[in-house]
Amino acid sequence: MSASKISVTGLRKSFGSNEVLKGLDVEIAEGEVVCVIGPSGSGKSTFLRCLNKLDELSGGTVIVDGFNVSDKTVNLNEVRQHIGMVFQHFNLFPHMTVLQNIMLAPVELKKQSPADARATALKLLDRVGLADKATARPAQLSGGQKQRVAIARSLAVNPDIMLFDEATSALDPEMVGEVLQVIRDLAAEGMTMVVVTHEMGFAREVADRVIFMADGLIVEEGTPAELFGNPQQARTQDFLSKVL
Amino acid sequence: MNIFRAGKLAVAATALLGLAGGFVGVSAAAASQPAPPQTTVTGETYVIGTDTTFAPFEYRENGELTGIDMDLIRDIAANQGFTVEIKSLGFDAALQALQSNQVDGVIAGMSITDERELIFDFSDPYFDSGVQMAVAEDNTEITGYADLAGETVVAKRGSEGETFANSIKDEYDFTVKALADSATMYDDVKAGNSVAVFDDYPVLAYGINQNNGLKSVTEKEQGSSYGFAVNKGQNPELLAAFNTGLAELKDSGEYQAILDTYLEQPAPAAASGFFGLLGDSLPALMKGLGLTLLATGLSILIALVLGVLFGFFKVSESRILRGIAGVYVSIFRGTPLLVQAFFFYFGLPQLTGQSIDVLTAGVLTLSLNAGAYMTEIVRGGIQSIDPGQTEAGRSLGLGYVTTMRRVVLPQAVKIMTPSFINQFVMTLKDTSLLAVIGFAELTYQGQQIYAANFRTGETLLIVAALYFIVINLLTMLSNKLDKRFNK
Ligand SMILES: Nc1ncnc2c1ncn2[C@@H]1O[C@H](COP(=O)(O)OP(=O)(O)O)[C@@H](O)[C@H]1O
Ligand SMILES: [Mg+2]
Repeated sequence: MSASKISVTGLRKSFGSNEVLKGLDVEIAEGEVVCVIGPSGSGKSTFLRCLNKLDELSGGTVIVDGFNVSDKTVNLNEVRQHIGMVFQHFNLFPHMTVLQNIMLAPVELKKQSPADARATALKLLDRVGLADKATARPAQLSGGQKQRVAIARSLAVNPDIMLFDEATSALDPEMVGEVLQVIRDLAAEGMTMVVVTHEMGFAREVADRVIFMADGLIVEEGTPAELFGNPQQARTQDFLSKVL
Repeated sequence: MNIFRAGKLAVAATALLGLAGGFVGVSAAAASQPAPPQTTVTGETYVIGTDTTFAPFEYRENGELTGIDMDLIRDIAANQGFTVEIKSLGFDAALQALQSNQVDGVIAGMSITDERELIFDFSDPYFDSGVQMAVAEDNTEITGYADLAGETVVAKRGSEGETFANSIKDEYDFTVKALADSATMYDDVKAGNSVAVFDDYPVLAYGINQNNGLKSVTEKEQGSSYGFAVNKGQNPELLAAFNTGLAELKDSGEYQAILDTYLEQPAPAAASGFFGLLGDSLPALMKGLGLTLLATGLSILIALVLGVLFGFFKVSESRILRGIAGVYVSIFRGTPLLVQAFFFYFGLPQLTGQSIDVLTAGVLTLSLNAGAYMTEIVRGGIQSIDPGQTEAGRSLGLGYVTTMRRVVLPQAVKIMTPSFINQFVMTLKDTSLLAVIGFAELTYQGQQIYAANFRTGETLLIVAALYFIVINLLTMLSNKLDKRFNK
């Protein structure tokens, strides 16, 4: 693996007196796919949200794509254009068409002319298999389709890193596959990704590395074969016995 | 005439002014510094405040102010070579305006009393009033006080009529109830709720000649005298000119001619039907409606700007901005609109020494008041949008402003629109409260009309119908636009 794309040292995060992240150290290389697993409430979402600073950090250092996110003077709007984020509940803009959802950021950020943004958006829609939905409203789409549009929207600003926060948890089972396929394709293209997921089979298949979190700490990490095949920690074994 | 012709509104206003004055350490007296002495009135223009309608002393006929006071002040002005600009403010408002030097003098059928002489300088008396009793035209049973045993009579609250009625009620064994104005008292007698009314003789005489359906059954009791007033120590030359002019009009017989016009020989008004009343009153009511709509439109526009500004303050991350917006909203939601109107029209000029016209004061009141409610509408609208929407926008690298403008607001406006329409209607209705500071909007025009023609019910019906029609038309239009643009 080549240079470090994400470098996290001593990351802490508290909500009031509740310490949710208790000192995380993570290095993620360019092109690496890291899956984060762990019980609900263990701090997985908070970890992701600290990477693009949707949540304020309480301590530690986060360097993403060369930007020191923990530095107060850094231009967050610029950093975030390098980091795409996909949410559990899609968060599509309901008052816009699919095409407008995807074109909004490139045009507002003056990265592309409206005509170019449109062409890019149509290409991205084609890539996620929704070329025919360009003029539809989010309300007219199924859950799986919505999530694929949300992924296309993130890709439109041409990020180097993609963060997925339980992208398939809100979907009916028959739609999980189509979304995972899109993520799988991105992995194959060499995108650096941090994927929080409950799909253990998927993690085993696409991850270069799996991180198991519990109670705001990284309990154990390793290749899928190591972590799923031969977990060292009791907490990991316990968790895996429940979900596998 | 009413010794304490200052109803509860004036009491509220005075209390408020006292409070406001106390805050900055000025009093009404301090606000009325003696003006530089002026020896002559010739060629001067004086602003004279008066009541809106106190027939036959001041009332409107075909939109023109007329009556004994009006003829008198105009004839005296002509006689003494000065000009008057008459402001029809309402009795309480006129006195407040005089105290805050917004007018130079007041002539409003005002009794000369010891209390008033503490704060005003009065002219020689120009009219001697007194209380008289009247009953319904077809009532043959009540011909004197002795027939009132066991009955209820009505008198004007705080008036000489009430004082007199109370002074004899035990002797003659009747009950006194108080109402706010002559027109409603006469309606009360005609409706049979009271058997008789005690009112000022000139008012009663005029009303009877206007076919108000009553007849007087007693001689007038000796009462108080009316005087023209200036603020204490102010405009002495105007007061002197009034006295000289009054004496000359009395000598020439012109004074008696004026009284006769209104009290002895009024042409009995031909009682027109409902449609006659509608036709007669519509021009004045339309003018009032125009002002109502003007005040509403201006106020809503300003309130919208205030609401958006303070609404954003309320959702901002700065505690200071949130605090400012919070204080603004709690002040204007936490005090009655009426008190706010009094404050801006009477209180502010006393504090700043800068007089303010009634439209400005009215729009200021309504827009600041509605702005507070708009602030809450905007805040609620923005906060009703799923935070995930903002997070999605920000995670794409869009700034706060862009995210607001392109993502949050378009959705929030859709949610806010029905509340905006509602606030618009509320503000339109609230304009009617500005009648108390003499803003000549629709309700005020209606009050003027029934105070002169005594047809309270029919007039209010027309006024209510106008509000109803306009509000429903505007609501329908707003809803159409809402459907069209907020699909
Ligand atoms: N905005 C917030 N305010 C307060 N507490 C929060 C907030 N977000 C998350 N938490 C708390 O932080 C802990 C970790 O949450 P989260 O990162 O969402 O866990 P996970 O994604 O692993 O389920 C939970 O106890 C949660 O209640
Ligand atoms: Mg989570």
